Amino acid sequence: MAPTLPSSDQASDQDNWDNGRLARKRQLLIEIVLRNKLTALVVDGDTTCRVLEQLLLRSYGVQTQCVDNDRDAVALIASGVKFDLIIIDMILPVLNGLEATRQIRDMGVHCKMLGVTICSGESERQVFLAAGVDVFIEKPLDPEHLVPILRELDGQ
Amino acid sequence: MDLAALKTQLKNFVQSMFEEGVLDNQFSQIQALQDSTNPNFVEEVITLFCNDAERIINEINRNLGYQNVDFSNLDSYVHQLKGSSSSIGANRLKLACANLRQASDERNKEGCLQALQLITCEYCLLRRKFQALLHLERSIVELETNQK
Repeated sequence: MAPTLPSSDQASDQDNWDNGRLARKRQLLIEIVLRNKLTALVVDGDTTCRVLEQLLLRSYGVQTQCVDNDRDAVALIASGVKFDLIIIDMILPVLNGLEATRQIRDMGVHCKMLGVTICSGESERQVFLAAGVDVFIEKPLDPEHLVPILRELDGQ
Repeated sequence: MDLAALKTQLKNFVQSMFEEGVLDNQFSQIQALQDSTNPNFVEEVITLFCNDAERIINEINRNLGYQNVDFSNLDSYVHQLKGSSSSIGANRLKLACANLRQASDERNKEGCLQALQLITCEYCLLRRKFQALLHLERSIVELETNQK
């Protein structure tokens, strides 16, 4: 009887699958290594957006807190908590993202603020920038926009 | 069906969702975030999204049932749904939300109702496909666990 091949074929297919996924993951997430411990605050009324933005930031090693409304965001910052980065949506429960941004800037907070929101026109973009965000990003927040900002904050 | 075949089936199924425009590349980002520290991340996010989407669609439906529609309230709901649709990569649902946003901006109740109908259809399609996707994922996890 001819010897049977060891069952390595299926394992190697699986290895190829897993390696392929890993390579794709590295490509999609744009790997960077942060030298410093960065902190971020995500202010978004939508749970899905909040969870995804938080996990994306955490995947880069950014220590991230979340709040689901602008009043809590303003209160948190007023209490003295410092962040390197604030990510804020334009439309939020209670007040709105524009007013919250103005209040945060009026408190003398100079950290990087990203307005990450659904945009329906240039006027909305200009209004959000005028309120005090440094960068306007249309949802979804993705590594292509986030990574250069993290590098800048990290002094790379 | 063996593990490799199931994985291929899942890959092809997701690819078909991209090709039909149901999902866009943002969903690939979410899949990329799943790893050994977050092994059920895709399922968790899909579940979260569907729960929220259904709640919002019901709220929009309720709002449009009033004689005098509160369009600013409606705007807030549409914003949420469009935002979460974008964030999960639900491309066609996101586009359907744009129709509702426009009708709401124009204070066009009839237009809003038509747009909501499309949103509901797109959401139902998406939910069915997500359910099939998760069924495949669970089968893969079960097989992988049995093989260890």
